[in-house]
Amino acid sequence: MRLSRIVSATCAAILLCAPLSAAPATAADTAPIHIAVITDMSGVYASISGQGAVEATKMAVEDFGGKVLGREIIVDTVDHQNSGPTAEAKAREEFDNGAELAVDLTNSATALAVAAVAKDKHKIAIVSGGGTSALTGANCNKYTYHYAYDTYALAHSEGVSVAKTGLKTWYGIVPDYAFGKSMLSDFTDAIAPFGATFVHADTMPLGTTDFSSYMLAAKNAHPQVLALLNAGADTVNSMKAAKEFGLDKQMKIVVGLFFLPQVDTDPSLWAGAKVADSWYWNQTPEARKWADRYSARMNGARPGSIQAADYSSTMQWLKAVKAVGSVDADKVVAYLDGRKFSDFYAQNAEWRARDHSVVHDMYVYDILPQSQVKEKDAWYKLVDTIPASQAFRPVATSTCDKTW
Amino acid sequence: MDRRLWILLGIVGLVALALPKLIYPIVAIDILCFALFAVALDLLFGFAGLLSFGQAMFWGGSGYVVAILVQNLHFDGAVALGAGVLYAAVLATLVGVLVVRRSGIYFAMITLAIAQIEYFVAVQLKDLTGGENGLPMDSRGSFFGVHLSNDTAFYFVTLAIVALCVWIIIRVVGSPFGTVLRAIRQNETRTIALGYQVNRFKLATFVLSGVLCGLAGGLYALGNRLAGLEMIDWHTSGAVVMMAILGGSGTIVGPIIGAGIYQVIEYFVSKTAIGQETDLVMGLVFAVCILAFRQGIAGGVLLIPWRKTST
Amino acid sequence: MSMDYIASQLFNGLASGAFYALLALGLSVIFGTLRIINFAHGAMYMLGAFATYYGAQYLHLNFFVALILAPLVVALLGMLFEALLLRRLQGADPVYGLLFTFAATLVVVNLVRLVAGAMGSPYNIPDALSGATNLGFTLYPTYKLFVIVVSVIVCGLIWWFVERSMTGARIRAATENPVLVRALGINTRRLVTLTFGLGVAIAALAGVLAAPTTNVAPSMGDDIIIYTFAIVVIGGLGSITGSILMGFALGVLQTLGAVYYPPIATTLIFIVMVAVIALRPSGLFGRPELS
Repeated sequence: MRLSRIVSATCAAILLCAPLSAAPATAADTAPIHIAVITDMSGVYASISGQGAVEATKMAVEDFGGKVLGREIIVDTVDHQNSGPTAEAKAREEFDNGAELAVDLTNSATALAVAAVAKDKHKIAIVSGGGTSALTGANCNKYTYHYAYDTYALAHSEGVSVAKTGLKTWYGIVPDYAFGKSMLSDFTDAIAPFGATFVHADTMPLGTTDFSSYMLAAKNAHPQVLALLNAGADTVNSMKAAKEFGLDKQMKIVVGLFFLPQVDTDPSLWAGAKVADSWYWNQTPEARKWADRYSARMNGARPGSIQAADYSSTMQWLKAVKAVGSVDADKVVAYLDGRKFSDFYAQNAEWRARDHSVVHDMYVYDILPQSQVKEKDAWYKLVDTIPASQAFRPVATSTCDKTW
Repeated sequence: MDRRLWILLGIVGLVALALPKLIYPIVAIDILCFALFAVALDLLFGFAGLLSFGQAMFWGGSGYVVAILVQNLHFDGAVALGAGVLYAAVLATLVGVLVVRRSGIYFAMITLAIAQIEYFVAVQLKDLTGGENGLPMDSRGSFFGVHLSNDTAFYFVTLAIVALCVWIIIRVVGSPFGTVLRAIRQNETRTIALGYQVNRFKLATFVLSGVLCGLAGGLYALGNRLAGLEMIDWHTSGAVVMMAILGGSGTIVGPIIGAGIYQVIEYFVSKTAIGQETDLVMGLVFAVCILAFRQGIAGGVLLIPWRKTST
Repeated sequence: MSMDYIASQLFNGLASGAFYALLALGLSVIFGTLRIINFAHGAMYMLGAFATYYGAQYLHLNFFVALILAPLVVALLGMLFEALLLRRLQGADPVYGLLFTFAATLVVVNLVRLVAGAMGSPYNIPDALSGATNLGFTLYPTYKLFVIVVSVIVCGLIWWFVERSMTGARIRAATENPVLVRALGINTRRLVTLTFGLGVAIAALAGVLAAPTTNVAPSMGDDIIIYTFAIVVIGGLGSITGSILMGFALGVLQTLGAVYYPPIATTLIFIVMVAVIALRPSGLFGRPELS
C-alpha cells in the first residue's frame, strides 16, 4: 500500500518535472569570457603542464590586457585527473557556464573526450598536451586544433634525425596501447627512407615495472638504437633497466616522448638520451625572455614546451577573437584556418585548414650530463632542426574526414 | 522494510526529483547511476554477505557494449542498453559459477582478479574499445525513437529506470528468497543443514547484482557519452564499496545516500583549493566510518527510536 | 634462442619473483595471525622505497644502512597503526579489516603524493652493486643477483622463524586459540602487534630493494598489491611455504610470458589464479578450513 503510493507519486512528479529543462546560461554580451585550462593538476603530468599551464595561460590573458571585446577574461583551472569521463563532464559544465575555449588537455584520452564535447557545443578546444594523431585523423572535427606535437611529428623529427646518421638497426620498447602502437608505426615509417628498420619491437603491457627481460633481449639483438616509445613511469622504468643492463654504453638511446621538467627528477638517468620537442626555453632570446617571466611566477621552475604552447595558443585565440569581433566559434575557426604565424614558441607555423593540425618547426636535442650544464635546468643541446613541412604529416596523406 | 527506511527513501526520492535544478545535470545523472551501482553491489554484500571487489567488470563491460553499439553501429540507445544488460547477465553467470563456492576474503580477491582480466581484454581489443583513449560517443542515440540529447530529459528517464530497479530489489529482499539470503549471511552452515541449495541462491543473487550493475554502467556511458577504461578499473569497484558502506549496508536506501554523498563531496571538493585531494578526503571519511560508524548513515537512522506499530 | 639467453631470462624471473615472494610472505604472515588481508601492504612497500630515498637525500644514508633502517622505521609506523586503529576491528567480520586497510591505503598514498609529487623521485643502484657479474654462461647485472640472494635469505629466515622456532609456534598457537595461549601467560596482544610489524617490515624491505631499479612514485604499490593478492590466493592464504614458492614461480612465469608473448605477461598471474581456484579452491598449499 505504501509502496504503490510512492510509485504513483514518483510517476506524477516525473510527468510534472520532465518538461522543465535546465537551460544552459546564455552568455550576455558583457558577461566574462572563461578560458578553461583542462589539465592534470596533481598526477603524473602535473610538472609538464599542471599549475604551469594555468600560469602560462594567465600570462597570455594578462599580456593581452585582461579583456577582449569589452569583456573580462577569466582563466578557470580544471583538473581532469587523467580520466576521460571527468574531463568530458567538466568540459561540458565549463562550456555551459561561459567558457569559450578549452586549452592544454594533457593526456590523449582527455583530449579526445573534450574534442568530442567541443564539437557538440560548438566551442573551441586547442590541445597542446595530448599527443595522439587521431585528433587530426580519425577524430578530427571543426572545433578542435592540435597545437604542439603528435606522434607523427616526434617520429619524423627524432627518428629521421637519428636514422640520417646511418644508424640502421633499431630495437623498439613499445607499450601495448594506442599511443605506443602509433609511435611504433610512425617511427617505422620515418626511418624507412634511410634504410633503417626495427629489427624487433617488444610490446608489453602498459604499466610494466620490470623491463629486465626486454632489456636483456635488446642486448642480445645488438641493435644500434634502442627506442623507448613509451611515456610517464614506463619511460623511467625502462630507462633504469636499460642502464642497469649497460645498454647506454652499447647503443644510442632514443626517448620517444619527453619533456624538460622530467629531467629534474633524475638528471643522471637521462644524460645522453636523445629527445624531440617543439620548444626549449634557452634556444632563442625571445624564448628565454618569456621563460624568465614564467620562472618568476613559478618559483624558478623553467617552462616545458606544453606550457609555452598554452601561452602561444591562448594568445593566438585572443587575437583572433579581437580580429573577428566575436567569440563565435565558427567565425574564429574561419579566421584561423590557413593563417600563418611565428612567435617565441612556434617558427614557420600554420593553422592548417585541412586537418586542424597547427604545424611548426620541430627540434631534436641531446640531454646533457650535469657536468656540462651551465645554468639551472639548461639540460638540452640542440642537434637538429626539422622544418614544419617535413615534421608533420603531409596534408596529402591525412586521414581526417573533413566534414566541415 | 523498516518504516524509518521508507521515510528516508521518500526524502531521497524528493531530492532526486529536484536534483537537476540543484546541481549540474550530468553530475545528477552520475549520482543516479552510481546509486543503482551501489545498491546492486550491496544486494550482494549487505544481504548475501559476499563482498565483490570486481563489480566494475559489469559496470564497465556493459558501458563499453553500449558505447560500441551506439557509436559504431548506430543502435537505438534502449536496444544498446538491453545488449549491455545481456552481456552483464552472461558474464555474471559464467563468473558466478566459478566464484560462489568461495566466500569472504577469497571472494573479494577473486572477483578483483577477474575484473583485471576483463581490463586486459578491453585494452587488447583497442580497435573495438579505443584502448586507453576510451570510446567517446557523438550522441546518445535515440530511445525508442525519441532523441535524448537534453541532459535533464535523460536524467528523468534514468530516474524512472533506477526507481524501477530499486523497487525490484526491495521486492526481492522482502520475498522468501531474500529471507534465505539473510539466513545464508547469518549462518551458512545452518542454512545448508535446513536443506537449502545455498550456492544456487548465491549464484542467482550474483547474477541479479551483475545485471543491475551492468544496467547502471550502460546508463552512465550513455549519460556521459563516453566509455573509458577506468570504468573497469578496480579503483571504481573500491569506490562503490565505499559508497555502499558509508550510506549504510543492508538497508537498500543506504547505498543510494552513500552514492549521493560520495559524488557530491567529489564534485564540490574538486572546485576548492584542495581539489586534487578527493581520494584523500574519501579515504579519511571511509576510515573513520569503518572504525566508528560501521552501520553507515541509513544504519544510523535505524538507531533512532521509533514506536513499532505492528504487534 | 640460446640456452645462455634463456638462463639469463630465468634469472630475470627469479629477480622479479623475489619481490613477489617477499610481498606475498609479508601478507601471509599478517593474515596468518590477524586473519586480516592487509590491503595497505603495497603502500608499505612504497613507504620502504621512499624511506630509502629520503634517507639518502636528507641523511645521506647509504643503501646498505637503508636496507636495515627503512624496514624498521616503516614497521614502527605499521605497529602504531595496528595497535591504535586496526586492533579496534578485532571482533568484526574480517572483511572490515580489508576495507579499513583499503581506506588507509588511499590516505597514505595521497599524503605521500602531496609531499613528494606524483612523478617519481630519483634513486640509483649503489656503486658497490652496479655493473655485471660473470656467471660463467653470461654477464648478469650484479644488483639483480643481490636482490635474489637477499630475498632467498630473508624468506628462508622467516620461514624457519614461523614454522620451526618457539616464538613462531606461539604465534601460530595464538591465532588458533588466543584464550588458551593467554592463559599460559603469553602476551598475545604484543605478539600480534609485533607480527604485524614483521609483515610490514618485509614489505618495506621489498620496497628498499625496488628503489634502485623502479620509479619511486606514490603509485608504485598500487598494481603490485593486486598481483600479490593473486599469488597469495594461488599459494593458499596463510601458507608461508605457498607464498614464497609461488612468488618466485610466478615471477619466472611472468618473465617467460614477457619473452614469448609480452602483451599477456601481466595478466598471466590472474589467469593462473582463476585456474587454481577452479581446480583447487584453497590454493596449492592452503588449508581448506581457512577459507
